[in-house]
Amino acid sequence: MYGNAYIDPNEVNKTHSVLADEDPKLLAEFEARIERGEKIEPKDWMPKEYRKQLIRMIEQHGHSEIIGALPEGTWITRAPGFKRKLALMAKVQDEVGHAQLLYSAAETLGKSREAMINDLITGKSKYSNVFNYPAFTWADACIIAWLIDAGAIINQVANAKGSYGPYCRALDRICTEESFHLKYGHDNVVTLATGTPVQRKMVQEALNRWWPPIMHFFGPSDKISSHTEILMKWKVKMATNDDMRQQFLNMYVPKIWDLGLTVPDANLKKNAETGKWEYTEPDWDEFKRVINGGGPCNAERLAVRRNAEERGRWVREALKAGQTAYVVPFA
Amino acid sequence: MNVAAIKELLYKVADDQLVIGHRNSEWTGLGPILEEDIAFSSMAQDKLGHAQGCYQILHDLGEAEPDQIAFSRKANQFHNCHFVELPNGEYDFSLMRHFLFDHADQIRFEMFANSSFEPLAKLAKKVKGEIKYHVFHGNTWINKLSTANEVSHIRMQTALNESWNYALGIFEAGSFETELKNEGIFEGENALQNRWLEVVCPLLEKAGLKVPEQHTWEPVLGGRRGYHLAHLEALVTEMSEVFQIDPTATW
Amino acid sequence: MIESLDPRIKRAAISTDNNIEPLSPLDQWETYEVFHQKKRGDQHMHVGIVHAANPEMALVFAKEQFGRRGLSANIWVVNTRHVFASTYEDADIFETTSEKIYREAGGYKVMDKINQYKKSQKA
Repeated sequence: MYGNAYIDPNEVNKTHSVLADEDPKLLAEFEARIERGEKIEPKDWMPKEYRKQLIRMIEQHGHSEIIGALPEGTWITRAPGFKRKLALMAKVQDEVGHAQLLYSAAETLGKSREAMINDLITGKSKYSNVFNYPAFTWADACIIAWLIDAGAIINQVANAKGSYGPYCRALDRICTEESFHLKYGHDNVVTLATGTPVQRKMVQEALNRWWPPIMHFFGPSDKISSHTEILMKWKVKMATNDDMRQQFLNMYVPKIWDLGLTVPDANLKKNAETGKWEYTEPDWDEFKRVINGGGPCNAERLAVRRNAEERGRWVREALKAGQTAYVVPFA
Repeated sequence: MNVAAIKELLYKVADDQLVIGHRNSEWTGLGPILEEDIAFSSMAQDKLGHAQGCYQILHDLGEAEPDQIAFSRKANQFHNCHFVELPNGEYDFSLMRHFLFDHADQIRFEMFANSSFEPLAKLAKKVKGEIKYHVFHGNTWINKLSTANEVSHIRMQTALNESWNYALGIFEAGSFETELKNEGIFEGENALQNRWLEVVCPLLEKAGLKVPEQHTWEPVLGGRRGYHLAHLEALVTEMSEVFQIDPTATW
Repeated sequence: MIESLDPRIKRAAISTDNNIEPLSPLDQWETYEVFHQKKRGDQHMHVGIVHAANPEMALVFAKEQFGRRGLSANIWVVNTRHVFASTYEDADIFETTSEKIYREAGGYKVMDKINQYKKSQKA
């Protein structure tokens, strides 16, 4: 489950400097390969900036999966009935599996899994902001499974057409599994929305809570900068944040309305002329505050990860004997 | 066919599966390494599936729906052994419990595969492969960790010592041992325990662990008759929290 | 202590200032390349990697990470260190000149000769 990667605003205008010391001939060959629709593979020559941005993006994606296991995990011991209990276990398991696949893809670019986990638990690298919000009720877990996974699919389907082979391969597998998540989430929400008055109230309240984080999910409007342009040219970034948000609203708002649920934004409507959705501008200050650690669950999420790493350390340490040297995986 | 005997048997087996599956699922997302997190979660799912299968047979014999049985009873209506209701503790205990329990499970279901009670034999054949993986997983971990370094060896030995009497409680006799045996439904807890000892003791010794001395063996009993530790009540309350908001609703 | 909504976390009584030592190199063990065969008769296909401390555990892990859905018949795991690979830089070694039709089925067109021969026999 993942939204778009956030580009550090301090980096937006430094394209010329990052390309300055690249070999023009190799750069031209690299760009021509991407232009032809071919994939870049791990040991290929690549601009330093391409490697850096991909590591950042895939790593953040991996972190989002492993942290994303926590809000839904909140309900893993309380899911109602066998079907829900089994499915939620399988879904959270898939998120862990996705982290495994994504970290593996990032490893091929030369960053070890240990280094990535260290950057996560010290707060150095980011993960998707939505997971810093709590899942108050069972219905919150259902809304996450439906709408956050829906958003993630939009992002992941786009990125699966990107230029880096290992990331695309991981995303192909991930997208297949996400389609189960989406169906599972939708089924849950439909069940609650068409259920008893208590269930309906639960799911409406959960939707109200999750709407602002969902609107934040794809990130602020992209600043048109030479840096974004080059990332799109290199097929690192495949769609603008606004385009993905529009696609999401287009696909899911009608489905929400179908259930007689309301979206807590009086200004939300589709402009018949432009075909675009109009909405109240999300609170981007809140977004920044949460990214920088000020969300309701940031501290908890990282403390839980540190605790899990620490509790597992003796297990990993014990079996390290006989390990010689780390070799970067091939694909 | 002795329906009362079959029901008693199915309830205890199903409750064991449900409770250990629930406990093991508590590790999901928090395991010692991503790959193991995934494997352990799969096995927890399998256990819940096996529980569901047993409750379904009970339902076919006239008992309530599986969801109602699992999510609506009080702790003193559960017939699982105490071993499975103990909190997870650290990974050493969770792994040791998994190893000891799954060996018993494997032998139990092998016996069930030959049961004269057709639905049970059918279920046993269906889940054979899953349990085989659980045992393979357990054997690998116990063997590797017990022989790795001093810390892990001591941890695994301690976990074994703490588990042992609880594990013996798996084999608490029911009220119908003779009937089940005579009707060819199940060979009985005594036979199961003997075969289990023949399998696990050599494996533990091979892993360099010491099985507690026989004069210290004191099976922890009572679970099969509905007597439980406070842990189970907490588990059951937590597990059914959402379901109990409205047990008649579809969730 | 974290007052988590997740009962599992609440029970674990975790403090938010639980700083830990960074993971050291090889904390996550070595990697194994995983080859998966869907059904008997199929080729084994490379599907990804697992981190594992030894080959047996690599197999235990690979089974669930790469075989928990759909069909599986067999899995191989190979320590990444033991894979010897060609480089993409040298991918031009795979480019072959079109004159090599002598080793393609399409390079042999006997019908022309047969037809010509038949014609000459009739004449």
